[in-house]
Amino acid sequence: MIWQFNLIILGFLIMAAIMSLKVTDLLSASMIFGIYSFLMCLLWAAMGAVDVAFTEAAVGAGASTVFLVATVYSTKRKSSD
Amino acid sequence: MRALGTIAVILTGALLLYASGDFPAWGEPYSPANDSRVSRHYILKSFEETSVPNMVTAVLADYRSYDTLFETVVIFTAGIAIISILRGPVDKRVRLRRASEKSLRQSNLILAQTCRLLVPVIQMFALYVIAHGHHSPGGGFQGGVIFGASLILVALSFQLQTALDRISEKRAMILAGIGVLIYSGIGLTCVLLGSNFLDYSVLSKVLPLSAIEARSYGILGVETGVAFTVTAIMFAIYANLSSHGRMKGGL
Amino acid sequence: MNMILNIACLGLLTIGIIIFFGAAIGVLRFPDFYSRMHAAGLCDTMSTICLLMGLALYQMHDLSLPNLLVVGKIFFIVAFISLTGPTSTHALIHAGYQRRNRPPIRDSKAKEGSE
Repeated sequence: MIWQFNLIILGFLIMAAIMSLKVTDLLSASMIFGIYSFLMCLLWAAMGAVDVAFTEAAVGAGASTVFLVATVYSTKRKSSD
Repeated sequence: MRALGTIAVILTGALLLYASGDFPAWGEPYSPANDSRVSRHYILKSFEETSVPNMVTAVLADYRSYDTLFETVVIFTAGIAIISILRGPVDKRVRLRRASEKSLRQSNLILAQTCRLLVPVIQMFALYVIAHGHHSPGGGFQGGVIFGASLILVALSFQLQTALDRISEKRAMILAGIGVLIYSGIGLTCVLLGSNFLDYSVLSKVLPLSAIEARSYGILGVETGVAFTVTAIMFAIYANLSSHGRMKGGL
Repeated sequence: MNMILNIACLGLLTIGIIIFFGAAIGVLRFPDFYSRMHAAGLCDTMSTICLLMGLALYQMHDLSLPNLLVVGKIFFIVAFISLTGPTSTHALIHAGYQRRNRPPIRDSKAKEGSE
């Protein structure tokens, strides 16, 4: 594992976490949440927890993003705060 | 109020960062988590006791299979809860017709054909992940999610009705029940054969295997049950979320 | 032999990164949705294929069976991406077109036609 690489991923992770809370467009927020899950998956893989990384990639970045987008599609798109 | 929340978050974050300085180093072999009696047993003995090279799978589905059984039940319950919240009445006036040929013409041709090429490959990969969880990362949960994602891909690139023609809501729920039944049934078989609940080694009495191999194959059976439940629940959740619980239209 | 492999591998990786950089600039600088998707879709697929080919070449340093299996898996990923990349770009642009978000036409011919 290369620690500079991990540090960059961690920076992006924190940025994605803050962005997904700050953005008022809920569709963008769910996409950014998908990015967050994928970065988390990279970090798990870099730490050697491959099983967890696989689960995170399948559930977090795959299925839950689709569920969030489906939910946004059937409710309203702008958040009120 | 907002500023107060921000201050609280920053204070908690700073405290957590300060506390993380006391953690053992990454991969430290003598940290309490790695050096306790239990984990030393797993690390040293799991291969000779279960003949499963992937230690994570051995711990997940053999030593701690109670946990995994109830995780499966949690997913099953979550699916039922989402369906009971969202599922509305089916509009009886519009007859549901088989939409296989019709939707192919209506939906996007390029998308549909690519999806036709990809879905079998994705499902094969999902089965590989389920069956190969002993040797490489993977297992019932991941494979089930990938299989469910392939069904969701069909629903996205054709129409929801196309996927529902393949696996109807009733069938999905029956499959989810079957998954939990397989898991607990293997456990009960072990009890009937005169051992503890989910102690797979006793399966060697009925299968032509040694006790150690029986544990490995018991893990495979359990993972199959998990995969059934997860696949069905993933698809049922998507079908309900995307169509407001009407099972028609969809994204 | 190793030298040639190294040079080819480095060359492919560099080309991939340059094309990827082009995709990033295109997404940021192009004026409307369609040209942005053009840059992102084309460059993303091409650069990913280049990068993966470079990695596959790097694996070919010693031709043992596990390494060759890794190379085979990388080629599967390349096939997968060359199928899904263009299709997802097409799906996005099709969705935008169906929502009546027509591309803005700014060249002179279109103006003459309207007059």
